[in-house]
Amino acid sequence: MVLSILTGIVSLAYGYSQEGLADPARWIVLMGIVWLLAHWRRYYWFSSVALLLMIFAAAYGVWREFPAVWMILGTLGGLLGWDLSDFAMRLRYAAPTDDVEGMERRHLARVGIVAALGLGLAYLSAVVQFRRLTFEVAVGLILLTALGLTRLVMRLRRY
Amino acid sequence: MATVSGGMFALMLPLVVYLLAGFLFAPDEIKLEATRHLNAERVLPHSEVQVTVTITNRGSYLEEVLVEDVLPADLKIASGLNRHLIRLPKGSSCAFTYTVTGPRGGYGFEKVRARVNDHLGVTSREVAIEAKGQLFVFPPVMRLRRVAIRPRRTRVYAGTIPARAGGSGTDFFGVREYQPGDPPRAINWRASAHTLNELYANEYQQERVADVGIVLDGRLRTNEFALGHSLFEYSVQAAAAIADALLTQGNRVGLLVYAMFLRWTVPGYGKVQRERILHSLAHARPGGSEVFSNLGNLPTQLFPPESQIILVSPLLAEDLLPLVQMRAQGYQVLAVSPDPVKFELSYLKKDQSVILASRVIQLERRLLLQKVQRAGIQVLDWDVSEPFDQVVMRRLSRPPARLRAVGR
Repeated sequence: MVLSILTGIVSLAYGYSQEGLADPARWIVLMGIVWLLAHWRRYYWFSSVALLLMIFAAAYGVWREFPAVWMILGTLGGLLGWDLSDFAMRLRYAAPTDDVEGMERRHLARVGIVAALGLGLAYLSAVVQFRRLTFEVAVGLILLTALGLTRLVMRLRRY
Repeated sequence: MATVSGGMFALMLPLVVYLLAGFLFAPDEIKLEATRHLNAERVLPHSEVQVTVTITNRGSYLEEVLVEDVLPADLKIASGLNRHLIRLPKGSSCAFTYTVTGPRGGYGFEKVRARVNDHLGVTSREVAIEAKGQLFVFPPVMRLRRVAIRPRRTRVYAGTIPARAGGSGTDFFGVREYQPGDPPRAINWRASAHTLNELYANEYQQERVADVGIVLDGRLRTNEFALGHSLFEYSVQAAAAIADALLTQGNRVGLLVYAMFLRWTVPGYGKVQRERILHSLAHARPGGSEVFSNLGNLPTQLFPPESQIILVSPLLAEDLLPLVQMRAQGYQVLAVSPDPVKFELSYLKKDQSVILASRVIQLERRLLLQKVQRAGIQVLDWDVSEPFDQVVMRRLSRPPARLRAVGR
C-alpha cells in the first residue's frame, strides 16, 4: 500500500515539476505524507479524500497537456493506495484465527490483475493514439466516472 | 464540446476497469443461513456458556463476509470473538465459537449480521440472518433444609405444614377420648389413669400442604443504594431459596414481583412451578413507579384467604401499615428483610459521621421491625454478609420434635 501511494504521489509530483509547477508538486508530496500519516493513525476515511484529490490533480494535468504517463501512473497509484487502505480497514475486523493471509494474497492478486489491465489498456489507448473521442463515448465514460465517484462519496459518508 | 482528448480517456481507463471488475464480480445472490448452538441454556450467574454459530452459504461464491453475532445487552464475551471475516464458497459452511458470561437474566439471541463485499470491495451489502437462541441465567438456589411456616389454612393434601387440626402426624396436638379403631399405642395411659372407665388417646397434629405467596419487593427506592450497589440480588436469592424449599415440601407456591410493574407467577406445585418461578426471578429487575411505590397497592386478593405470605423486602417505615392490614385480612405473614443498613455500611468509608448515622438508622430499623413483630408478623432480619441458608436454619427451621416436646 505504501508503495502504491509513493508511486502515485511521486509520479504526479514528477509530472507537475517537469512542467515547472514546483509548488503544486510540493503540495502533492505533502498530501502523500499526510495520507501515509493518516493511514498510520488509522484515519481510513482520508484515503477516499486523497484519491479524489489525486484524480482531480491528474485530470487537471492531462487537461493542461502534462506528460500523460505520469498522470496515469499517479491515478493508478492513488487507486491502489485507496483500495488497499480500504482493505486494511476491513481486515481490522478479522479475528486472529481467520485466514487473513489467504485473503490478502487473493486480494493482492486480483488488484494486481485489475491494475495491470487498466494500465495495459491505458497504454494501448496511447499507442493507438486516440486523439479525439466522439461525444457519445465521452458521455459514457463521464457517466461511469460519475458512478464511481458517487460510490466513493457514499463510502466516505459511511465512515 | 464534441470531442474529449485521448489523454483523458487513458486516465479514466484504470478507474473504469476497476469499477467494472468490482461490479462484474459482485455476488449475484446472498443466501446465507445461520444456526446457533449453546452448550447450556440454564446457567448460574457469570458461568461461561459456549456459543457456536454456523454460517452456510446457499447462494453464490462470497469472497469476503464479515459475520457478527449480535449479542444481547449485558452479556459479555469471556473468550473468543463474535466477529469474523470469512470466505464462503458456494454450499460451504463456516463455524465459530466463543464463550459468553453474564449476570442473572433471560437473554434472547436473535440475529447474525453479515456484511458481504465483492472481490474488490466496490459493492457492500448487509444482511441480517435469523438465528434464535435463548439463555437463562438463573439466580443461585440455596438448599434450605426447612422453612417452618404456620398458615391459618392449609390444603387437603398431606404435607409438612402443621394444619392446626388433630389427626395423624408427628407433633402432639391434644388428648381426646379413645375411639374404636385408634391404635393401642395412641392410648395416653397417664390421662386414662385419672378416670375409671374411660380411655384417652393422644391426638397428633395433621400435616398438610399449604398455599404460599412469595412477594419479592423490587422497588427501586428500597433496593438501590449509593455507588450503584443493590440489595435486589440478595432478595432474589432469598426468594429463590424459599420457593425451592417450599415447593420441595410439596406446597403450592406463587410469586409476585412487586417492582415497576407486577409480575405474577400463578401458584402451582412441583418442579414445573420451580422452573416457572426461576424464570420469573431470572427476568426480575428492580424498578420504580408511582403506582407501586408503596406496598399499599399490593394486590392481596391474588393470594388465597388465610394463606401464608412471605414478603422479601428491605422494608421501609411506611410499609408497616400495609403489613398490618395484610395480617388483619387473615394472612400469615413472614417478612424476610435483608438488612439495608449493614449492607450500605459494608462499602462506605467508616468515619465517625457514617458510624453515627448508621447507628441512628439501625435504631430506626430495629424499632420498625419490633412494630412489625408486635403486629404478629414473623420477621427474619438478614445481614446479607451471612449466608442465607445459615440464617434460615437458625431462625426459620422448626426445632426437632424432641425439643418441642420439652417446651423449647
